[in-house]
Amino acid sequence: MAEKLLSRHNLAGVPVKAGDIVEARIDGAMSHYNFVEPVHQLAVQAGFPEGLPRVWDPDRIFILLDHHQPALSQELADANQLMRRHVERLGIKCFHDAEPGIAHQMMADYGLARPGELVVGNDSHTISYGALNVGSTGISRVDTLYVLLFGELWFQVPNSVKVVLEGHHPNYPIAKDIILYLAGKYGDDFAGSMSVEYTGSLVPQLSIASRMCLSAHGVEVGAKFALFPADERTREFLRGRTDKPYEPLEADPDAEYEKEIVLNVDEMPFMVAKPHQFGNVAPVDEVTGIKIVQAQIGSCANGRFEDIEIAARILKGRKVAKGVRFIISPASQQVYLQCLKAGLVEWLVEAGAQVVTPGCGVCQPKVGFLSDGEVCITATTRNYKGRKGSLNAEIYLAGPLTVAAAAVAGEIVNPREVFREL
Amino acid sequence: MSFDLNQVIRGRVWKFGDSVDTDAINPYYLYPTMEELKKHTMESYRPEFPKEVKPGDILVAGRNFGCGSSRPGLVLREVGIAAVVVESVSRLFLRNNISRAMPIFMAPGVSGIVKDGETLEVDYAQGLVRNPATGASVALRKFPPLIEKIFQSGGLLEFARQRYLAETAR
Repeated sequence: MAEKLLSRHNLAGVPVKAGDIVEARIDGAMSHYNFVEPVHQLAVQAGFPEGLPRVWDPDRIFILLDHHQPALSQELADANQLMRRHVERLGIKCFHDAEPGIAHQMMADYGLARPGELVVGNDSHTISYGALNVGSTGISRVDTLYVLLFGELWFQVPNSVKVVLEGHHPNYPIAKDIILYLAGKYGDDFAGSMSVEYTGSLVPQLSIASRMCLSAHGVEVGAKFALFPADERTREFLRGRTDKPYEPLEADPDAEYEKEIVLNVDEMPFMVAKPHQFGNVAPVDEVTGIKIVQAQIGSCANGRFEDIEIAARILKGRKVAKGVRFIISPASQQVYLQCLKAGLVEWLVEAGAQVVTPGCGVCQPKVGFLSDGEVCITATTRNYKGRKGSLNAEIYLAGPLTVAAAAVAGEIVNPREVFREL
Repeated sequence: MSFDLNQVIRGRVWKFGDSVDTDAINPYYLYPTMEELKKHTMESYRPEFPKEVKPGDILVAGRNFGCGSSRPGLVLREVGIAAVVVESVSRLFLRNNISRAMPIFMAPGVSGIVKDGETLEVDYAQGLVRNPATGASVALRKFPPLIEKIFQSGGLLEFARQRYLAETAR
């Protein structure tokens, strides 16, 4: 699929193979708060004192305040103000200004990335749209400036790794467990600079939300792209979100893969990444009993309806353990609204959880800092040392069910042993 | 900003392990200014690093260096790191170093030929990194011609400027 994607977008107009360097035509560029500080400063540094002198196509650039809405400090408020000025000056039409949420979820919510397109963004989790068969990937800030000016960028055509997922989907999300299992078994760079292609009998059973979790985490296993096939679920998701035609990418039956990995989820336990690396993975049974003071569900990996729904289902009629801060951040306003309409927020708040404004804050040291010695279990993207403030805090990554179970128990537990209904 | 890819770089080595993340390299969430970053870069792996690093030192690390976010490792240049030499590097970190023309080299096996504090020599023209004290060396991976061109012209920013000026002068 990656060879097809980059052949289709090759400015030279000829087919390319893995390893080739191409200069590619870009279909869409996402930029968040980086659009002001770094990109603007780079433009000044490049000899454009007023900032970017132009953009290549105001219809293909999507600006979302993302990390910085609402403004968390005076500096950010001032930066947001500067951003509004430049967006207006450059005539960029798609600007989500007064709307909190994670850029990647909003790109999906509003149908801004379509199957078969090549979409870039100056954020590592831009790779998320692979869930919708979009060739999307994170680029550097200088790359972003180049794309904004010319609508083109160089790429090395990646090798592909085929991940075959088999088995039956249970009635709770398992995407996080899948990617943690893969990172633990094959290494946190098993897809280093490659294109991951998901296939197998589980794929049609995976919701778009679960696919976005797996695609977002493509970057945590080193990937350039993390692609799903476009199927009926994809078309259903895009219906009403975009009216532009699209041409999905399909893998050839005889496509060549650098490696092939098979996982049957029926045999997979709940998985946890221990501090402080994504690949430091163990089955949950190896870490049960570890006391926690904070539990979190959110981010571009796990801030979607199904992630919050499973927490609400577990918490209904139960209470968050005394002394545990259970923080839930929907990925976008659209997701938040869906949760509200389904009554989930009421159950969560009654049980003692906190629901905070959509955005990236819970995945960073912005919302819910940890102090020395504190332990947090979280369904977010990363567990690096200092990710939530103190270098002496410990962060465990897990799926939303394992996180909700820990929030109720006050310690890491195997959800299946606590909740007989599963 | 530019550097000559073909000039030999020699310096004292700071060694790190696998999967060193961008939160460790560039903890900007906690330290938003460059002055603060310089006092904290890499401290989550080696607390003495920001205090003792000297201009001209070389950073040697294992596989998957710079995993994590799209944030660049500018701070390493600011504290004087002359080159980063790794077993393998995350693609975004590599893109950042190419686009800003900051010296980075992939040399599988490098961790095995040099100890912390020893001197390492990077000779891109010869395609080698070597330990002058022991004579041990490993090959480094050459960049494709377009990437060499971006390095030699001082990074993608300079590239962008020249291209824009050429287009608008027509």
